[in-house]
Amino acid sequence: MVGIVSYGTYLPKSRLSLADIASVWKKNPEEIIKSLGVSEKTVPSIDEDAVTIAIEAATQALKNFPQKRSNIGALFMGSESHPYAVNPSSSIVGEFLDIGHNYLSADLEFACKAGSAAIQIVASLISSKQINYGLAIGSDTAQSKPRNALEYTSASAGAAFLLGSSKVIASLEAYTSYSSDTPDFWRRDGSKYPSHAGRFTGEPAYFFHVMNSANLLFQKINLKASDIDYCVFHMPNGKFPREVAHRLGFTEAQLAPSLTVSQIGNPYSASSLMGLAALLDIAKPHQKIFMVSYGSGAGSDAFLWETTPDILAIQKRKTKNHDLVSDQIKNKTYINYLDYLKQTHKL
Amino acid sequence: MNITIAGCGQTKFGELWESSPRSLARQAVFTAIADSGVNKKSIQAIFVSNMLSEMLGMQSHLGALFAEELGISVPAYTIEGACASGGLAVHSAINSLLSQRYDTVLVLGVEKMTDHSSEYISSALMGAGSNEERLAGATFPGLYALLARAHMEKYGTTESQLASVSVKNHFHASLNPLAQFSHPLTLDQVMRSSYVATPLKLLDCSPISDGAAAIILQRSPTPKKNTVEIIASEIATDTLGLANRNSLTELQSTRKAAKNAFTSCGIAPSDIDIAEVHDCFSIAEILAIEDIAFDKKGEVAKKMEQGEYRLDTGQGLVVNSSGGLKGCGHPIGATGVKQIIEIYNQLHGQCKDRQVKNARLGLTHNVGGTGATAVIHILKKHD
Amino acid sequence: MISPIKVWRNQKKYAQQIGKVGTIISWTIINISPEGFIDQSPYPIALIKLSDGTNTLAQIVDWEEKHLRKNQPVIATIRRTQEVAPDEVIAYGIKFKPLD
Repeated sequence: MVGIVSYGTYLPKSRLSLADIASVWKKNPEEIIKSLGVSEKTVPSIDEDAVTIAIEAATQALKNFPQKRSNIGALFMGSESHPYAVNPSSSIVGEFLDIGHNYLSADLEFACKAGSAAIQIVASLISSKQINYGLAIGSDTAQSKPRNALEYTSASAGAAFLLGSSKVIASLEAYTSYSSDTPDFWRRDGSKYPSHAGRFTGEPAYFFHVMNSANLLFQKINLKASDIDYCVFHMPNGKFPREVAHRLGFTEAQLAPSLTVSQIGNPYSASSLMGLAALLDIAKPHQKIFMVSYGSGAGSDAFLWETTPDILAIQKRKTKNHDLVSDQIKNKTYINYLDYLKQTHKL
Repeated sequence: MNITIAGCGQTKFGELWESSPRSLARQAVFTAIADSGVNKKSIQAIFVSNMLSEMLGMQSHLGALFAEELGISVPAYTIEGACASGGLAVHSAINSLLSQRYDTVLVLGVEKMTDHSSEYISSALMGAGSNEERLAGATFPGLYALLARAHMEKYGTTESQLASVSVKNHFHASLNPLAQFSHPLTLDQVMRSSYVATPLKLLDCSPISDGAAAIILQRSPTPKKNTVEIIASEIATDTLGLANRNSLTELQSTRKAAKNAFTSCGIAPSDIDIAEVHDCFSIAEILAIEDIAFDKKGEVAKKMEQGEYRLDTGQGLVVNSSGGLKGCGHPIGATGVKQIIEIYNQLHGQCKDRQVKNARLGLTHNVGGTGATAVIHILKKHD
Repeated sequence: MISPIKVWRNQKKYAQQIGKVGTIISWTIINISPEGFIDQSPYPIALIKLSDGTNTLAQIVDWEEKHLRKNQPVIATIRRTQEVAPDEVIAYGIKFKPLD
């Protein structure tokens, strides 16, 4: 049985409100906030990057791991803002986490689903008994061009999952994946900002892939939405996950606790992972979580998790240490648009 | 010790755009040779003091460079200890005379800083501290600011009291034709200058300067009347970085070097008439006066504010009649040597408007980094 | 140009520092910063007493005015340190965050 042994998340402290962004470009703030379902987003500090954020998230995950770190046999980090084009973030993170040298690592990129792809890869290594434990991390400090629509939601966060086959707090019951070549959103090598194909990012991209991956999973597990306790989807904004949840037969109540997007924006490779962490923070034992990520280009990874009684101890420790996603969301300082330009290296 | 100063020479300190290290050295040394009446050929070794030539000018091997430039082809080498380079070079020269290997030697302190941007110089100066400090972005003013804050916390020292150090030193500098700054400063001007590293403001900090200072030292078993002798020369070393210090409110290297210096020549701090101390920042002068034991810890700042240590209103010891590092300027390698020259001139009664009456015993205090090195010299007018 | 080998050698000790807690002994805000720290400026640096009894000097990040005081608890984390050119190796190092 493969599953999550421990998990950790990190949000940079700065927040930029969408109202502030809107007023810079002389747009109607209420209209924008309402249509996106997002009120503020995280902004990294000038000295943070996807690597430092991954280290923070993984350090938190390893706080709740009683075994020797050298037992970790794999580390995969997914991001669309790896600091180097050539030189793996994964092994920089591995070195700072002091996990020794007996591990497999490589960097992943698949837009916003690079982190979830990491989970499937590490899970496979464990179930084939090649390794005992592995870290799957999604971390981003994604960029967006000033004035572009993406500026309202592109955010920053990191989520790390330590997977193993014993003492799991949530077992990975089943997983599927759906991939295609779909040019909805991309960034060329050397280009600072991504580009996107407007409304094409909706039905033919997000919805098509999420629905297909989800339906593959439903078939595999032979369950209905009403048999499941919680769901979480990739959150490019507040609207898409609500719409796709509805189409798949989930209720608002099943989705609501996962919607971190309204307070943090879209942290790309960490998006659905942050939503999963928020659910794990509150789920009771023996509850089922249906998770579907989405990455432009495009593809979707779907997972069915089931929590175990071991989840209670981790929740208790995280509550005590103020390490819950809800604690991190509250731990914020507002900045203005100029600070945002400085902190994201645009000035 | 039987070490006498035969002659001195110093250039003006300041932003000397037209001067190169070579021209500065020539000016200082040929003035010293003329002042000493010594034949150039009798100089047997050259001790060069410099900190930044390699980092800023890409030029090392200064001993050979100046030996050639000055036409004095003798053993020559550089001594470096950050801002204490000058004091260390004087100490090394003295050792060479005490060993009786040489009878007459030249000490040349020279620094050319103004060819470069202040950001670049700021980086280079961080070479005086530790790697940990550099990686933290701890500038030199930043490190002394940490000391200032600790002093303010423990003794209630105020920013205004610190500012009065700069006011005093600019007043003294206005009386020194070789000083970088000729204009006095008001307390208000210092207090209104912007923060470089809180609580230290721009006018709490010594400037970037060019300059050279040279002295000729001789071993003289039978010194003539009215010669100026160096009667003590002591060095003490403390940890490179602040993190490993025992105290933030005193420089233990100063304390140790001063104590050893006084003991070695049987003199007490209260015997000293005139002192040149290392005021790289205003707080550094407060610490110096305390740690050399001229006055009690925690009491100097108040006395400074009340007008002590000044040529005009001081009741006792006068500190930094040259203007100090703040007023006279701080070409790093030259400072420690210049301090000796100021005391030499005071003891010889040659200081005109800034002359301290009846000066017979003087002290110089030269510090490297944030106190990793401290060098004390005591000078006496031979009766 | 910072030597990548020096960066590598310095970084070996940082893994052990992550998560260490301490308290501020003295602090200052650097307004005029040297090359390599200009984009980050102004920033506070502090002398910190660690729980193991040793002292360290480092930058403080994610701070508010109220955190810059003697005895403020802080925790070590990894951040980028010196700004480097786009073709150089990135320098990571230890900085400290306030603990509320």
